[in-house]
Amino acid sequence: MIHSLNPTMKAITIIMPAILLSFSFDIITPAIMFIYILILTFFFSKLNIKKWLFYFIPMSFFALGLAWMTMLYTDGRYATGPIIFSFLSFDIRMGSIIVSISLALRSLCFIGLSLLFAFTTDPTKFMLSLMQQARLSPKLTYGILAGYRFVPTFRHELDMLKKAHRIRGFGHAKGWRNLVEQMKQYFIPLLAGAIRKAERVAIAMESKGFTGSKERTYYTVMKIKFTDYLFLSIMLIILIIAYYVSYRLGTLNIFGHRITP
Amino acid sequence: MKNHQPIFELDSFSFSFDKHDEPSLNNVSFSLYAEEVTLLLGASGSGKSTLTLCLNGLYPEAIDGFTSGDLLYKGRSISSYPKGVINQEIGIVFQDPESQFCMVRVEDELAFVLENLSIPRSQMKQRIEHVLDIVGLSQYKKHNIHQLSGGQKQKVALASILLMDPQYLILDEPTANLDPISSIEFIETIMRIQKERRFGLLVIEHEIDDWETYAHRLIALNKKGEILLDSTPKEGFINHLQELRSNRIRVPKRYVNREIARPPSSEKENKEVIVNLKNIQFNYKNKQILNELSFLIKKGRFCAIVGENGAGKSTLLQLIAKLNKPVSGSIDFLNIPLSDWHENELYKKIGYVFQNPEHQFINQTVYDEVCFGMKLSGYSRVETERMAHQLLTDFDLLSDKWKNPFSLSGGQKRRLSVATMLHSTPDLLLFDEPTFGQDAYTISQFMRIVMQLNEKGTTIVFVTHDMDLVDSYCNHVLVMQEGNIVYNGTPKELWRRTELLERARLRIPYRLRSMNEEMTV
Repeated sequence: MIHSLNPTMKAITIIMPAILLSFSFDIITPAIMFIYILILTFFFSKLNIKKWLFYFIPMSFFALGLAWMTMLYTDGRYATGPIIFSFLSFDIRMGSIIVSISLALRSLCFIGLSLLFAFTTDPTKFMLSLMQQARLSPKLTYGILAGYRFVPTFRHELDMLKKAHRIRGFGHAKGWRNLVEQMKQYFIPLLAGAIRKAERVAIAMESKGFTGSKERTYYTVMKIKFTDYLFLSIMLIILIIAYYVSYRLGTLNIFGHRITP
Repeated sequence: MKNHQPIFELDSFSFSFDKHDEPSLNNVSFSLYAEEVTLLLGASGSGKSTLTLCLNGLYPEAIDGFTSGDLLYKGRSISSYPKGVINQEIGIVFQDPESQFCMVRVEDELAFVLENLSIPRSQMKQRIEHVLDIVGLSQYKKHNIHQLSGGQKQKVALASILLMDPQYLILDEPTANLDPISSIEFIETIMRIQKERRFGLLVIEHEIDDWETYAHRLIALNKKGEILLDSTPKEGFINHLQELRSNRIRVPKRYVNREIARPPSSEKENKEVIVNLKNIQFNYKNKQILNELSFLIKKGRFCAIVGENGAGKSTLLQLIAKLNKPVSGSIDFLNIPLSDWHENELYKKIGYVFQNPEHQFINQTVYDEVCFGMKLSGYSRVETERMAHQLLTDFDLLSDKWKNPFSLSGGQKRRLSVATMLHSTPDLLLFDEPTFGQDAYTISQFMRIVMQLNEKGTTIVFVTHDMDLVDSYCNHVLVMQEGNIVYNGTPKELWRRTELLERARLRIPYRLRSMNEEMTV
């Protein structure tokens, strides 16, 4: 199960295909990867599909928008082949369509990978693993963890501020300028509160014997296991297969260079 | 008890945040001993918290402050100890339960302390379980800290300090944010542990009634950060009562002549209803917060909403002010449904003072803050100026009128936040824990202002934990428990319902407690 993998290794496993995919400008390679990511998401992780769709759908609209724009304004190098259709004053060629579909699929891969990581990783464990595996300093690790605890408090604070200002007749901002003005009004008290809280937490941590020294024992020991290497290897093997299939089909296109067998 | 070596020795010790500033602690000399329970008293701003952080070795280093004189720990200057050593021997529990943890779960927070001490992993589990057993939180080991109640959070803070096996423990207003019963429970827990482990204890607290019986000694600081008094509690409270009170220090109620409570003025009963709630239901994140509430408040009442933390008191107050919308049910204000009120009109008639007064400040100066509402209501310049002057005089803020609201003291901020609500005479004023974390003088000054408003005909509704306040000012009280109203009537009647009080985690006011004691004697 993806939940039980080591977070640092998982992060590497997610980032590597994301980088390596960005070279392929064809459809087949990202399509194969995307299918694999969906399989991982739906069959190998216990995440709430409804919640996943809640994030995935809006983000994929963004990906489609990006692809649409790419199709209209394709670089001359890619805008080859016959004209398929015309839209307003744009002539859309076969090449443009392929490049934009490829871009859309790659974006969906990134979104899928990011969500897979976010939904299957406990933030505390991720930070602890970064400290234990990636040698992140304890000062930074526990600082970030302490900050993470404040996210809900912050939201509550902002809510109270909005209400307090409404009571004073400073309610609904109309127009952009007022909105910016209003955000400024919220910013100062929020910041003042945040600084005060940060100071308190820092003092509390120090008074619990925290010095930032790297010489410490660990209660939750994060280990890299065989399955972590397995997950990474399979991910890379699938990526290689994806590239190879595309190569075999004669569609492989790296940075606009057609590579055929 | 004073025959062995003191833990701390202070000899003409002074501390200032800046070389040119007035010192926060001024020429302080005293010693603290093991096994002794000491109360440290002083008004807000008298340097109590500064002193605790100096004793813990965090100041002056953490903020580049300036010290003079000597501060010795076990006979050696505190600055000569290596980093982290003092922190482990002197534990502190702080006031704010929200901001003294860095981990999400109870277990991890406690492990964080053990990791800092480089305790081998094999011993951790057993130590964590043992300390949770001591503070009575065994079943909460795997819980998330933010889901615990305030009292439980403070016990987690205590547990993490106990893990370091400290020689001396400092409690910096540990119960200030807790409801009365949680507060007593915390005090009983810590005193039980103190008896077993025999560490020295320094307690800072505004409300000291419940600590006083355990204390061996009393140290009081005046406004300038000088020692005002160093004696046994009994001696201090009996012989130096006036001195303490003139320094704005709250003394235990049993040493004060019983002040005659204002007879609740139910005689001038007004028939008109100001707020009327019918079958109110409110949910938050699919969780039911309020359940089918119905009640009404009559005009001119002085009404308190009480109950333990998380019972839904603040939510209810916000519903009345149209800051939240109920899922179902109706709220009428002055016989018109809230939904029919235009916001501008409504907030001329309803004022709301938030728990944190800073939230309400919009302008750069105190003066602009007071004028803001008047300008919105369209008063002329001359009139605005006249009214602002009057308000600032009434609220004792005239000399601070060009200051930034954020730079005021706690009590001043609170007064200003009330003043900003009075640009037009409101019919209803709502307060969310207005006396929270303030010293005796500030509270009495504040209550005087609220009383005056009430006498002028403004209906007052406030959320509080302070039953003495309810007893001496209110003529109507609503008790909430888990989203329900379990009592709706006069305070007098409420104090007789022992079983109900216990269920809602309330405590009868001091006046009646002492009467009961006298009766049993």
